[in-house]
Amino acid sequence: MTIQQSIDTPLLDVRDMTTEFRTEAGTVAAVNGVSFQIGQGERVAVVGESGSGKSAMAMSLLKLLALPGEVTGGQVLLDGRDLAKLSERQLNKVRGRLVGTIFQDPMSSLDPVMRVSEQMIAPIRRHLGMSAAQARAEAVLWLDKVGIPDPEGRIDAYPFEMSGGMRQRVMIAMALSCRPNLVVADEPTTALDVTIQAQIVEVLKTLTAESGAAMLFITHDLGLVARFAHKVAVMYAGRIVEFGPVSEIFRDARHPYSQSLLRTIPSKTALEGGRLPQIPGLPPDMKHAPDGCAFRARCAAAEDRCASERPALTSRGPDHAAACWRPAGLGEAEKQDPGVHQPRRNDQGPGSRVVVEIHNLEKQFVTPSLFSRTPRQLVRAINGVSLRVHQRETLGIVGESGCGKSTLARILLGIDTPTRGEIFIDGTPQMIFQDPFSSFNPKMRVSTIIAEPLIVKDWGDAAARAERVRWLISKVGLGPEYLERYPSELSGGQRQRVAVARALALEPSVVVADEPTSALDVSVRAQIINLLRDLQDELGISFVFISHDLLTVRYMSDRIAVMYLGEVVEYGPADLVFEHPVHPYTRALIDAVPVPDPAVEANRSAVPISGELPSPLDIPAGCAFATRCPMATDRCRTEKPQLRKHSRLREAACHYAD
Amino acid sequence: MFQKTLYARPQHRSFRAALAGLMRNPLVTNKKSRLGLIILLPILALAAIAPILPIQAPLETNLFASLEKPSIFHPFGTDKMGRDIFSRTLAGIKVSLIVGLSVAAIALGMGLLLGTLAGFFGGLIDRVVMTVVDIFLAFPSLLLAIGLVAILGTGLIPVILAISLADVPRFIRLQRSLVLSLRTRAFIDAARTVQASQFWMVTRHIVPNTLAPMLVAASIAAANAILIEASLSFLGLGIMPPEPSLGNVIRDGQLYLEHAWWISTLPGVVILLIAVSLHFLSDGVRELLDPRSRK
Repeated sequence: MTIQQSIDTPLLDVRDMTTEFRTEAGTVAAVNGVSFQIGQGERVAVVGESGSGKSAMAMSLLKLLALPGEVTGGQVLLDGRDLAKLSERQLNKVRGRLVGTIFQDPMSSLDPVMRVSEQMIAPIRRHLGMSAAQARAEAVLWLDKVGIPDPEGRIDAYPFEMSGGMRQRVMIAMALSCRPNLVVADEPTTALDVTIQAQIVEVLKTLTAESGAAMLFITHDLGLVARFAHKVAVMYAGRIVEFGPVSEIFRDARHPYSQSLLRTIPSKTALEGGRLPQIPGLPPDMKHAPDGCAFRARCAAAEDRCASERPALTSRGPDHAAACWRPAGLGEAEKQDPGVHQPRRNDQGPGSRVVVEIHNLEKQFVTPSLFSRTPRQLVRAINGVSLRVHQRETLGIVGESGCGKSTLARILLGIDTPTRGEIFIDGTPQMIFQDPFSSFNPKMRVSTIIAEPLIVKDWGDAAARAERVRWLISKVGLGPEYLERYPSELSGGQRQRVAVARALALEPSVVVADEPTSALDVSVRAQIINLLRDLQDELGISFVFISHDLLTVRYMSDRIAVMYLGEVVEYGPADLVFEHPVHPYTRALIDAVPVPDPAVEANRSAVPISGELPSPLDIPAGCAFATRCPMATDRCRTEKPQLRKHSRLREAACHYAD
Repeated sequence: MFQKTLYARPQHRSFRAALAGLMRNPLVTNKKSRLGLIILLPILALAAIAPILPIQAPLETNLFASLEKPSIFHPFGTDKMGRDIFSRTLAGIKVSLIVGLSVAAIALGMGLLLGTLAGFFGGLIDRVVMTVVDIFLAFPSLLLAIGLVAILGTGLIPVILAISLADVPRFIRLQRSLVLSLRTRAFIDAARTVQASQFWMVTRHIVPNTLAPMLVAASIAAANAILIEASLSFLGLGIMPPEPSLGNVIRDGQLYLEHAWWISTLPGVVILLIAVSLHFLSDGVRELLDPRSRK
């Protein structure tokens, strides 16, 4: 150890950590010799696709891995003390006290049968040696700091009495309450809506800055990284392939994987061009880790050497290191995805024929009450929606969860019936579902899954169906060998391709896609989006594209409808709505979305929209958004604004839409 | 049926390949189900070849060989009337297995039918079926079986019917809960968007996905039915002597427990082995079918 290092000791120094999962199918090195350092008060983001080992790495730091995972090598030095050598008992003193943890799903990390107070007070008393009354006061203080309204009252609530965002706030309060030096957060906002995500990120950022705690932040969202991190570690196949300051990684990434990852984000340049750049192929199967560089099969600049020798993490300037044989990673030539600048094949834009017309649609659910005394409650899921979709047009629908966008999709497809209102559809609608894991019958082969609509509708004879199924699977970019497989033998991206093939079987006029990419990894997401656009150009289908991923919606859509509590609050051409939002809710939504550019993020106002979606049981009398709107007046609270023409192309429901 | 017309897969395997395939069968590779099979298969084999074994017929009496200890000629000894306990036990195993399998089959079939109707269609059918089920479930199954035998009479068929009727409600409950959770899955919605018939959804999507847990339940029910049949016969309500059943052989021996322990004990051990092996088997099947335990 040199003198220089001992003066400036990092808070956390991980050296050559290796974590293995011993399964019957063989040993999988989920984390394979990872080394990095975190300084005092530094926020480090770890990005990578699922299976890259980023969660296993974070869990390994505190040996929180479940069997069959085991840390098999390396050192984890926290303030100079090697955590890897500590006993379970000693580690328990570190966990919570020196290192706080926040997980993705607060519902499963909070004990459902314990009050929040019981879960918060015990660790504070144990770690900080406070009396019960002191600890309670401390817990209330922290709940207040993380932005829980009425902390004195809410502290005795049970986790199920809180919303997802509130529970995540409680998790943060718990993690910070013992004043740890380091907070490990594993995808803490993935399960939340963008607006809530923005609030949570802001809370985390200010509170860690205030207490001086460092942070290890695991995410797959590059926008969040830009908003939040000082440094970035990019992981691929169990190794860190690039590590450096956030601004440098975004401006001048050196590893081909980081470079490709950054290009797959639907950015402004991609909006003007045609297709989204995509990373071909799939991440390697960790059971059979390849020799040499794990990324070479998907790398445009791979050389012979990459197949035999694995490049080590080497310096690319101060604090910046990458694991690639080529100093600059992809060259200018390779950076150009051959498909990118190809104009969209047959882009004629939306036609004039109206394919879907929704008129004054309403959907109400009645919550059944167990006892006849309590009145039956009415959930107004959709509250008078009128929309049109033209031929070859993509209508994007955005909004927080609970805004009624999925109910609208179900009604469009005839899965649910509307309470009031009318729907006209020219042709047949089809659906691509969000979760590629539950949308297929696990007992059916892919061939039967795709053929199901054809069989049900008595389309042709067996030979004609087989022919059509083969045509469909080739259309979505899969080989005929996939027809014999079961859904469990497919990756997420492959499943979504099969879902697209099934949706196209009956030549639909409109395809409703409900969050079709949200369960997919970034590199695969671009493949699916390109596929959908190509198919639209070729087959002239209309899309209704529902998502909370605003960047993707913007890239996909011609027009956008913004929904809030079962109503459309703004409607217009995608670019206009995004560039110049009229409704305050649209503005808030767009503001909440992190942009994958640290320079932009640094200059943004740090005041996210406050509050949460009101319960659809109890919709405010006036404007539904008035409870959260920064410009709400008395008029908004009493008089309901109607959706009306704002300009030639746009409609908005706000009294003060200029 | 559709798959056959679409993609016929080649089927040519040598005997050796078939045997190797059998050894790789999950039921053989899984430790628990293998243990179950190792205990169960020899018992089944013995019961199957009992008629050609060189042993005394189950109903044949020999008063000169009354209450003999286990020996080479009478592996399980003899009873008061000089009947061969081993031979009677093997015959009893046959009865037990007929009862176990019939009950499992009837309960599975009725459970699938009524549980699917109740779970998938809901409404009035659901309410009627579930009310009857709840009434049945209020009684312990042995008591219920005793009551039903009192109504239906004794003998093999009434015993099977009585035990099945006592078991069916649990199967209906299980199937209904499985159907309810499947009904909300996205692939049902996908079938609905192409206006698939309810018959299609039930036969292609719902039932195939409930079969696995239902089969596990059926194998446990088979073990249970064997025990209940033995209990009924022990109480003199099941298979009537001189026709042998494990339960009434044990009953025959209980008067002589002090002098001739083998009459009751050895058939009792056989019941234990059958029940334990069936439980191992169903445990193994459950492990194999649970996606979380799969690697």
